[in-house]
Amino acid sequence: MEKGLIALAAAVAIAIPALATAWAQSKIGSAGAGAVAEKPELSGIIIILMAIPETMVILGFVIAYLILS
Amino acid sequence: MIKVMSKIQLIGSKGLLDEVIKTLHELGIVHIESMPSRISLEDTYLRREPLERGKALLKESLEKVLERLKGIYMLLPAAEAEEMAGGVAPVLLADITSHAFLNEVDRVEQEVRGLHAERAGFSEEISSIERYEKILKGIAPLVARLKGINNFETMGITIDRTKEDIIPLLEIEISRITEEKYQLFVKDIDKDIIGIVITYPKKYDARVKSLISSEAISEIKLPERYAEMSLFDALKNMVKRREDIPILIGNIDNELSKLSEKWYKTLERLTGLLRDTIDELKALAYCVHTRFTFVIVGWIPKEKFNILSSTVRDRFGDRVMVREMAIREDEIDLIPVYIKNPKLLRPFEIFLQALPPPKYSSIDPTPYLALFFPTFFGLILGDIGYGIILFFLSLYLKKRFKAKEYISNLSSIFVISSLFAVVFGVLFGEFFGDLGERLGLLHPIIFDRLKATKVFLILAIGIGLGHITLGLMLAIVNYIHRGKGKEALAKVSMLVLLLTLLIILAILAEYLPKAMITPSVLIMLIAFITLILIEGTLGPLEVLKSISNILSYARIMAIGTASVALAMVANKLGGLTGNVILGILIAGIIHVINIFLGILSPTIQSLRLHYVEFFSKFYQTGGRRYEPFRKRGGRS
Repeated sequence: MEKGLIALAAAVAIAIPALATAWAQSKIGSAGAGAVAEKPELSGIIIILMAIPETMVILGFVIAYLILS
Repeated sequence: MIKVMSKIQLIGSKGLLDEVIKTLHELGIVHIESMPSRISLEDTYLRREPLERGKALLKESLEKVLERLKGIYMLLPAAEAEEMAGGVAPVLLADITSHAFLNEVDRVEQEVRGLHAERAGFSEEISSIERYEKILKGIAPLVARLKGINNFETMGITIDRTKEDIIPLLEIEISRITEEKYQLFVKDIDKDIIGIVITYPKKYDARVKSLISSEAISEIKLPERYAEMSLFDALKNMVKRREDIPILIGNIDNELSKLSEKWYKTLERLTGLLRDTIDELKALAYCVHTRFTFVIVGWIPKEKFNILSSTVRDRFGDRVMVREMAIREDEIDLIPVYIKNPKLLRPFEIFLQALPPPKYSSIDPTPYLALFFPTFFGLILGDIGYGIILFFLSLYLKKRFKAKEYISNLSSIFVISSLFAVVFGVLFGEFFGDLGERLGLLHPIIFDRLKATKVFLILAIGIGLGHITLGLMLAIVNYIHRGKGKEALAKVSMLVLLLTLLIILAILAEYLPKAMITPSVLIMLIAFITLILIEGTLGPLEVLKSISNILSYARIMAIGTASVALAMVANKLGGLTGNVILGILIAGIIHVINIFLGILSPTIQSLRLHYVEFFSKFYQTGGRRYEPFRKRGGRS
């Protein structure tokens, strides 16, 4: 039972940040695509903006790993 | 690295200005200061003069001709043929603006545009024929059977399969209208559409048509060209047209190639000549004048100053003077940035093209990128087999696209990165995942990525700590170099705060002796207070950001493990089939997918670690690129 709960906790720890990252990237991505179409020179900045929310899922991954180990 | 630049001033007698500009253009090393407001006119007798009327008019007319030539050039297919000697090609500028040549351009322009319009018309026609083709092909056999019947009308209609049950009702109605003098053929066109052909005496045409339209059934509407024809004739014509049009398009293409052979290279040369001349005329406007002299201010890489001064001395003697000027403090951020690295590192400069250029006073991150990008890439991919495939693939692409600088540079980066992947593959004992180990050929030297996940995670975060610390150190060195002690101190306290925080965490986790806690807390407090005093409350927040930056390097482990897991899945699935050929096929397909992912995700992730985590510590944007005034030729 306890093992199952731990596994579930780890799953939640990575799943919710993953969803949050996906949501944030979808918003940034669509806005970014529009911006790049108008001003291609912004592409570097858009890549950076696009990459920022990824940290959430990586942090979630680290926490999930800590829960499991 | 960012090259040291010199600010230069050329002074000479006004009559020599045109010649001096031409010389600078040929040399192609001086970035002429083009923004008037950026030069401070210290001496009041200097003034900026508009371009002389004659030259302004010339520039305007040349620009017009250039636009037209560019327009024709874009419409012609690329031709390899060398320029034909004599005849059409003017060599001098005066010839380009001559009436005879402009008339010739007019003629060619009309011819080329006409051919293109005709070609576009044909393409459109063929695509409209294609749209009808399926329907017409379906009913063609029906129509063919009715050929030769006079005084009869033929109508084609299409019906959705969902409305199939109205066909009997339709037949009853038509039979009533035409007093049973009709024939109706039904044919399946595809899974959604049924084609129907009805034939009946001409005198019932109006009533049948009104029935069809009142029932909202779609009669097959033909393209405009065929609208007046009967269904049968239209079909016959369309089939013929469909065969003819590609030939007609081929003829047009031939004519265009012929024109291109005659004009392409000539146009390339002429547009180059025009661009260069216009550039020279524009450059004239950037100079300032006194009554008898001109002054040109610009920037040049320090190492090339001697070339400039000796060339000017050789050509103009004492009549033109070049001197190096002192750069004022407020001008430092206006100095154009010229980044030049050793040949091996140069391909990595393409990763900086996505970002605005760094300030002259900041740091060129290319050397660090050249070291860490392949390392991260190798750590994530870490497979001998994948590395070798990528190595040969990039080598091939580099050869194949030698002329295309961007692809060639990117391939060079992957050649280097794939070697790192092979090296890490040896260290992790991976050859197409666990295939090497299964065959008993390989064993992990440092650790097995799938089993020793904890070690891998600690390694990844450790690399993050090192990378971020390096970033902060670079910033500190740069600030000290520029004499900005306060900013340097802020970065130092940030670094100390970060490191002591990690030490305290390590003590709490019992990795370090407890005795260290008091000095660590003390140092941390000092750093904290210093940081708040210099940067305000935002300073400590920056430290928190750095911690999340360091944790972000965990992605090296996460994606690396995912890559090796997928490779292992490929081998396992291949093994499960029990059939050697099928097994190799299945494993091969999954490995191919994995190689594709293995190129894409390590690239994106390592770039991201640089752009977001590493660069944010020291990279300062806001510079402008060094753009020397040089001949562009065919380049735009």
